[in-house]
Amino acid sequence: MSGNTVTLTDNNFDSFIEGNPLVLVDCWAQWCKPCHMLTPILDELADEMAGKVAIGKLNVDENPGISYRFNISAIPTMLVFKNGVMQEPLVGVRPKEDIKKYLQSKM
Amino acid sequence: MKVFQLSYDVAIVGMGAAGLQAAISSSRKKAKTIVMGRSEDSALHGAEVENYFGVLRATGKELLNIGMEQARSFGAKLLQEDIIEMSSSEGAFRLLSDSGTEIEAKAVVIASGIMRKKLKIPGEKELFGKGVSYCASCDCNFYKGRPVAVIGAGSEAAVSAELMTHYASKVYWVAEEVDASENLREKALNAGAEPVSSPPKEIIGDDKVSALVLEDGSELEVNGVFIELGARSTTDMAMDLGVMPTPDGEINVDKDFSAGVEGVYACGDITGKPWQVAKAAGEGGVAGEMAAKYARGL
Repeated sequence: MSGNTVTLTDNNFDSFIEGNPLVLVDCWAQWCKPCHMLTPILDELADEMAGKVAIGKLNVDENPGISYRFNISAIPTMLVFKNGVMQEPLVGVRPKEDIKKYLQSKM
Repeated sequence: MKVFQLSYDVAIVGMGAAGLQAAISSSRKKAKTIVMGRSEDSALHGAEVENYFGVLRATGKELLNIGMEQARSFGAKLLQEDIIEMSSSEGAFRLLSDSGTEIEAKAVVIASGIMRKKLKIPGEKELFGKGVSYCASCDCNFYKGRPVAVIGAGSEAAVSAELMTHYASKVYWVAEEVDASENLREKALNAGAEPVSSPPKEIIGDDKVSALVLEDGSELEVNGVFIELGARSTTDMAMDLGVMPTPDGEINVDKDFSAGVEGVYACGDITGKPWQVAKAAGEGGVAGEMAAKYARGL
C-alpha cells in the first residue's frame, strides 16, 4: 500500500471526508479478486496526485456501517467526495487514466 | 497426500487458434501437453477466414478441426472441458475442470480469449452497481436474504448460481439452454437454484433493481441481477496463480509471452488487440515453445 493511501473505518470515515477537499474511497474486500487489480492503480494515483486528492481504502466486510449508508451493492466501488458532497461513484475496475481524468474533472 | 489424476508438462487453457498452436509447438518440443477448453467457444469458431497466410478462404471451424487433428498427431491430449479452478503450490500448477478432472502441470499457457461480458439489454448499463453485477463472488454478500437472478448458460453462471444459493433468499437461474457440464448443473440445481428458460428482456428499477423482465412477458421480482456469460473467467482464475490482469481483463506479457509469474504464459486475444487469427497463432507458437522449454528445464 502506498504511504499516501489511508486506511478508513466506520470511525474515521467522516473526518477523512470533511478534512480533504477531494476524496476517493476505494470500497473493497479481501476475497474480491477484481479489488486487488485496483490496488496498485490507486497506490500510483495516491502518489501522483498527492496534495490534490486524498485516497482512502475501506474494507466493506469490517466496516458495514459505511457500506450500508452509501448503499454499496458491488465492489470495487470508488466513492468520490468533493467538499464533503458525494459525486457519481465509479463502479468496477477502471483503467488508471479513466480514474485520473474523472478526478481531474472534479478539481 | 493428494494424488492427481493426470500429470503433464504443459497445460494449455483455451482451444482456439492460440491454444491449439501452443499445443502443436509444445508437443513438438517433446513436452507432455494437454489443451483444455471448448473449441466451439473460440471466437474463431463462427468466423470466415481470408486474411491468414497460406489460407485463401476457410471457415474458422475447418481451421480449428485441422488444428485439433495436428495437435493430436504430435501427441497432445485434448480435453473438451472448461477449467473452473486454477492454483499453484511448490512450483506445480493444479487445474480443475467442470467435470471434476484434476490436472497437474509444470507450466500453464493461458489462451482462453476475451469473454463477452455484457448482455446489452435495457437497464443493464443504467443499473450497474445498483443491483446489476458481473461478479457474483465479489458481490454475493450484499444480497443476503434477497432474491436474485443469475443470467448465463455456461460454467460461470452455474458456479455463480450455486454460490448465490448460500446468500440469497431465492435464486433464479436464467438460461435458455444450459451449456455447463452436468456436474456443475446438478450442483446448482441441487442447491436450490430455480431454472428459468425464457431469455431476459429488460432489467427494471428506479435507483435499485426491482425486477427482471423476460421475453415471455413474465417478471421476476429480484434485487440483484448477476450477468455471468460464457465459461468461467480465466482472468479471474489467473489471479490465483499470481497473474495480475489489466482493468480491461487482458494479461500483459513479455517477449517470451511470460505472464509475469514463473511457468505461466499467455497468448492470443487475452494479451490484447488486434484480435486476429494470425496474431493468436503466432503468439501461441512462441508461448507453447517457451512453456515446453521451461517445463522440461531446457
